[in-house]
Amino acid sequence: MVVNVSDANNNVKKERSWFWKKIGFWLVSAKSGTLGPEEWAKVRKMSRSGKNRRTRRLFALLWVPVVAFEIAVSLRVVRVDPWAGLMSAAWLVVLMGLTVRALRIGFAQVSLEDRALMDYGAEFDALKEKQRGEIFQRAVRDGLFGRVKVDEHEAEQRLRAQGDAYRLLAPALIVFVAGYWAVCLLGPFQAARGALAVTAVVVTWLAALVLAAPTMIRMWTQPDEPGETAAVAE
Amino acid sequence: MSLHNRIAVLRAEKKLSRARLASSVGVNPQTIGFLERGDYTPSLELAFKIAEHFGLPVEAVFSPRPFRTLSEQVYKLHKREA
Repeated sequence: MVVNVSDANNNVKKERSWFWKKIGFWLVSAKSGTLGPEEWAKVRKMSRSGKNRRTRRLFALLWVPVVAFEIAVSLRVVRVDPWAGLMSAAWLVVLMGLTVRALRIGFAQVSLEDRALMDYGAEFDALKEKQRGEIFQRAVRDGLFGRVKVDEHEAEQRLRAQGDAYRLLAPALIVFVAGYWAVCLLGPFQAARGALAVTAVVVTWLAALVLAAPTMIRMWTQPDEPGETAAVAE
Repeated sequence: MSLHNRIAVLRAEKKLSRARLASSVGVNPQTIGFLERGDYTPSLELAFKIAEHFGLPVEAVFSPRPFRTLSEQVYKLHKREA
């Protein structure tokens, strides 16, 4: 990781290699005592970027072409071999699931600065190299294994996001079902129209179940309504 | 309805970090930040825990109306005394 570099006066000095500076430090950065101020600055910048709304929005926008690309790949593979298509789609769904999980963990992650205050009662910059390494190790471990605290704010944000997603999903599902029926009934595939119409019925009922699910869940879980007590009856 | 609070002022008064307050009331430090900025309305349970932490009644820490500034309160007190 350390290379000898000669300057203009042929003085040899030890310096981190290019690979270490750009990539290597991410791989071994959890080992304490290995990072210089430059690498720590990068680690902290990366740790803060997830807390920044602009970065998150950029990531969310990038998400659309990535998903479109994944769908295009699966569609291409499924034409060659349906089983390979299934494998491709499953693999991409797993990848997407892992990414979503990592993002959800990231929301609830405490920043390195706050960890420094919580664990050592001091600013991150004031910590010893070993303590910084320990904090970073813990942050990486928590991020990988999802050991983060989901407090009431985080739980509420998740619920709200799920509600918003459902509100978007509900009309989109209705449009999708209408489109599916239109293609089935008006598309140029006379021979397969009967089989397609069966799938359209299945899709319609699946959509109806999804749309009715919140009300059904409420029907099941809502407690009995308490009546007015006799003591205050007019 | 947005809820106003004095958490930032009380923290400064007690020289208490967000992280320390957060760990004693059982939330993430970023939640305290969201509360102070008015981006999040706490549950009753959390509001009571925070008030209890500062040893104050809950209405001294949280209010549906904006709190008067310290200078405003001092001027009013001076007027009353005069």
